[in-house]
Amino acid sequence: MLPYRDSKAQGAADFYFAINATFRFLQSRFGIEKLVKYWSELGESSYFQPVAESWRNDGLPAIAEYWRDFFQAEPNASVDVTYSEERVLLEVKQCPAIYHLRKNSRCIVSEFCQHCFYVSDALASRAGFEVRIKGGNGTCEQTFAKRGSSAPQDLGSIRMADSP
Amino acid sequence: MIGCYDFCGHYEWTFAWIEKNFGHDVLLAYWKEAIAEDSQIHASQLIKEKGFAGMEEYWGHTLAEEGAAYTSSCGKDSFRIDMHDCPSKGFLLANGLSQHKDYCDHCIGWIGPMMKNAGFVVDHEHNHLGKCWWSFRRVGEARQPSDPKASTSNIEVMPGWAPSSAKIDRFNGATGADQKQA
Repeated sequence: MLPYRDSKAQGAADFYFAINATFRFLQSRFGIEKLVKYWSELGESSYFQPVAESWRNDGLPAIAEYWRDFFQAEPNASVDVTYSEERVLLEVKQCPAIYHLRKNSRCIVSEFCQHCFYVSDALASRAGFEVRIKGGNGTCEQTFAKRGSSAPQDLGSIRMADSP
Repeated sequence: MIGCYDFCGHYEWTFAWIEKNFGHDVLLAYWKEAIAEDSQIHASQLIKEKGFAGMEEYWGHTLAEEGAAYTSSCGKDSFRIDMHDCPSKGFLLANGLSQHKDYCDHCIGWIGPMMKNAGFVVDHEHNHLGKCWWSFRRVGEARQPSDPKASTSNIEVMPGWAPSSAKIDRFNGATGADQKQA
């Protein structure tokens, strides 16, 4: 269940332009370290408090439910969410953000896909979980599991985003 | 992932984060450089090329996509929008989100510099409760008097514009968020 509700069933895809532009602004002005700090602090922030609380209280089923609802509200997303006792797997077949940015010939920040790791891992850690990501640039796999159950994230396994 | 469904929520959080970490001037630069000149470059190009007709085209698309309740009127000397129910501020109000001291400033924060670049200035008021009006005119032209025929749809004459809880911010011939009238 999503913590914040809108009157529309799905968001406006042009907002992906602003997300991409925000990353570019922070990176070009202050460097990748500050961009990573922004992502991590967003995941740690009060903004995500209701999500962290739900994941802490209800564990992996809540993580699966959150991502199912999340991607339903993102236009043109194609994502399978599967849950087992050990993990939640997101198979992103079409990332809605990369899809929209590419369709509109936007120059995509190369490290765009790393935001999924930094935001989600900071958020998951508040509930005793972690995320590991493979792929990127439009398709990827994201695995949520108990914190400490897998090797540290290899950033090299998160692909850089190509611009059209 | 950061999504577009709750975009206004984390966008507002971002304003507070930038201001806290880098100061107010960097927030103003963010609205100008990241939003006006990068994210909304399609709006800038359209308005620079087509003027008032470009404004009508841009906001016709974007406000429909965002689900706004608004009216607009395009004349030969101005383009006006009356926002009756802002979807962006409305999202924050409906969800009890309030991280930044003046979320509404972000609109003139990016629209102002975009209009300046296209040769226009902005007359604008917002009430921080999801209602505002905008009137765009060419640089050097006088402010448009309210059209009496349009006054029934002008937001500032409607109930709900200025309840006792409303703090109304005003801009006159402005091109940035730092030009708020005292």
